This record gives sequence, C-alpha cells and structure tokens, in this order.
Amino acid sequence: MIARSQRERLLEAAVRVVAEKGYAATTVADLTREAGISRTTFYGMFEDKEGCFLAAYDGIIDALVRRVTAAYEAEEGWPNRARAGLAALLEALAEEPAIARMALVEVGAAGPAAQRRYRAALQRLTPFFDEGRDYAPGGRNLPANTSRMAIGAVAGLISDEVIEGHAEYLPNLLSEVLFATLMPYIGPAAATREVAEKK
Amino acid sequence: MMKVLRSFQPTWDGLMASESRRDLILAAMIRVVGSKGYKETSVADVIEEAGTSRTTFYKHFEDKHECFLASYEMLVEQVFAMVIAECDGAQPWLQRVENGLATIVKLFALDPELARTAVVEVAAAGAEARQLHWDAVARFTQYLEEGRELSDGGELPENISLMSAGAVSGLIFDELLAGRAAQLPAMLPDLLFAMLVPYIGPRAAAEEMRRVAAAN
Repeated sequence: MIARSQRERLLEAAVRVVAEKGYAATTVADLTREAGISRTTFYGMFEDKEGCFLAAYDGIIDALVRRVTAAYEAEEGWPNRARAGLAALLEALAEEPAIARMALVEVGAAGPAAQRRYRAALQRLTPFFDEGRDYAPGGRNLPANTSRMAIGAVAGLISDEVIEGHAEYLPNLLSEVLFATLMPYIGPAAATREVAEKK
Repeated sequence: MMKVLRSFQPTWDGLMASESRRDLILAAMIRVVGSKGYKETSVADVIEEAGTSRTTFYKHFEDKHECFLASYEMLVEQVFAMVIAECDGAQPWLQRVENGLATIVKLFALDPELARTAVVEVAAAGAEARQLHWDAVARFTQYLEEGRELSDGGELPENISLMSAGAVSGLIFDELLAGRAAQLPAMLPDLLFAMLVPYIGPRAAAEEMRRVAAAN
C-alpha cells in the first residue's frame, strides 16, 4: 500500500518536474525531492530517469485514452462521436497543461523509446478515425493511411498550441481539430457544414 | 580515410577558409545526430566526424546546442533550395506540390541521417530547435496556400496548411522512426493525398493518388 502510493507520488512528480524544467534538465534528485522519497526508494522502482519518465508517460496516455473512449462511445453517429472524443481530449489537456506538455512536447526529448511510445499512443486513436471509412460515401477508396494522416493533422494543431504554452486555450481549437478529423473522409465542404452545425 | 589523406597534406587545414571549416562541422553535426541521436551526440563525436580540432569547434560555437541550431538552419536552407529548384513557377499548382513532395522523399530516402535529424531528432534539441522546425514547416506550407483557389468547400479554416503539414510529417516521422527511410518514395501517392485532400477533397485527391501510383 505504501509502496504503491510512493510510486504514484513519484509519477505525478515526474509530470510536474518535466513540464516545468524540461526532460533534459530534469535530474533524479529533482524527482525524489518533488516526490518526497529517498534516492534508494527511487532506484528500487526505476533504473533511471528515462524508466521513470516512460512509466509516467504510459500512465497519462492510459488516462487520456480512457477519457476519450468514454466520451466517444457515449454518442451516436461518427461525426458526433468524433466531436465528443476530441472535446474530451482538448478539455483533459487544458485542465492539466503539465500533462499536455509531457504527452506532446517533452516526449520528443526523452529518447527513442519515448518517441516510439508517442507514436504508439497516437495509433491507439486509429479505430476512432477509421469509423469514418464506413461513414463516408466512397470511404473504402481512401488510402489505408487516412487515419494516420488525420491523427497527424490533429496532433500537429494541438502540439503547436502546447509548444506556444497555450494549453489552457485548447478547447477553443475544437472546430479546427474536428474539421481536420472529418475532412479527409467527407471532404472540406461537408466537414465545414458539419463543424458549423453545432458550433 | 580522409584523415590519412590529410596527414600527407599538412597545408590542407591552412588552406581551408574558416567559413568552410565551419560548414564541415555543421555537416558532421547533421550526420552524427542523425545516426546517434541528439541526446547521445557529444562534441567529441562531431569533431571526429568533421576531422577538426576541439579548438576549431569552440572558435565557432559555444557548445553542442548552438552548433546544432546552426546546422539545422543550414539543413533547412539546403532542403528548401532543392525543393524550390524542382518547382517551376509556370507549372500548375498540383504539379508543383507533387514535385516538391517527391524531391523531399527522394532526398530523405538517399540520406536517412539527414532525414532523421530534420524530422525526428530536432524534437530532442530543446525549445529553440522545435521553433526552427515549425518555422521551416510554415515556410514549406505557405506554398500550399495557393490551393485555396481550387477549393469548392467554401471558406477553409485558417490553419489548413498546418493540417496538411501535420498529416504528411506524421507519416514521414513514423517511417523514419521505424528505420524505413528507403520506403518513403513508395509512400509518395499517400503523402500526396494527405497534402491535397484539404483543398480538392477526398475523391479528387484519391484520383491524384492513383495517377501518381500508376506513373511511378
């Protein structure tokens, strides 16, 4: 019980410290101080800073995916489901800018394993986008990579905002990320209509 | 090999203008970062690759980070010049987009180290480097803006070129991360779809994709 709460404290501390100092400047000493644990305890749980970062990263991605999935599945019809899932994602990232920074920006600084985790995290969203193939007329003729493209567009828009330090304004981006999601499947004209409909 | 040759030419270093020695270091930085990763790269690696002394390195650069930023700026200028050279202003927009994209994927396939530095490792080099990366993306995508004239989708969102760029760079990033730079030219049809779809819609973009796939 105590061991578990120490681990959780450490992972939460890692998110805060990495978002504030950047991954490269973060030391194990920073992490143990912020979490209020000893060095020995740290090395009992993780081999190094990178191992701790990856565990914290997996935790925040799992939580984000759970939240997006719940919002998406609560709606009917692909455009509505996409809107709800994206809104949940933007709200979650805006509530905790430190999580947004870690999930999208600092992950690039934490080495190749972290970068693979980042791309794998984006891939977990693929099924939500792929439903657009069934929804869109002629969706079967679209390239197999369409979901990866749409995810790349959405990630680009969100990352741009987070890099600028504007994570708290992310919910304002809903129209644009919804457009970027729907557009490759149903085309720009239909996507514009769909976005405008429930603004 | 180069080092052996140089040892027989004691005046070689003296003949090199300092400007070009700086360029040698910048080119070495791009190669080393592309193969070892930014985090693992040391100044010692770079001077070994460049065949210069530590003193020469520090005459030109404060540290690894400053040298990387300069090398990234050089890389962007070079790629940009190559792409522009393949995009004749008299050609239709669609053709120019295809040529520009084809130039980039061919270059990346031929030089996977440069590609990794340009797309993947730049994220590891801190906030200024990420800014340079985004500035470069914006510089390339401004040429897409002309595509708005082809759109029948009414008023397109302001950020439309950023969406295109995000879609294309996501696909390229995945291939490079998986060590499949050589596969990039085969992905040209898909990448072209991603770049065109915001402007001409999925049906027309899929037609372009099939046309390019059949031609290559």
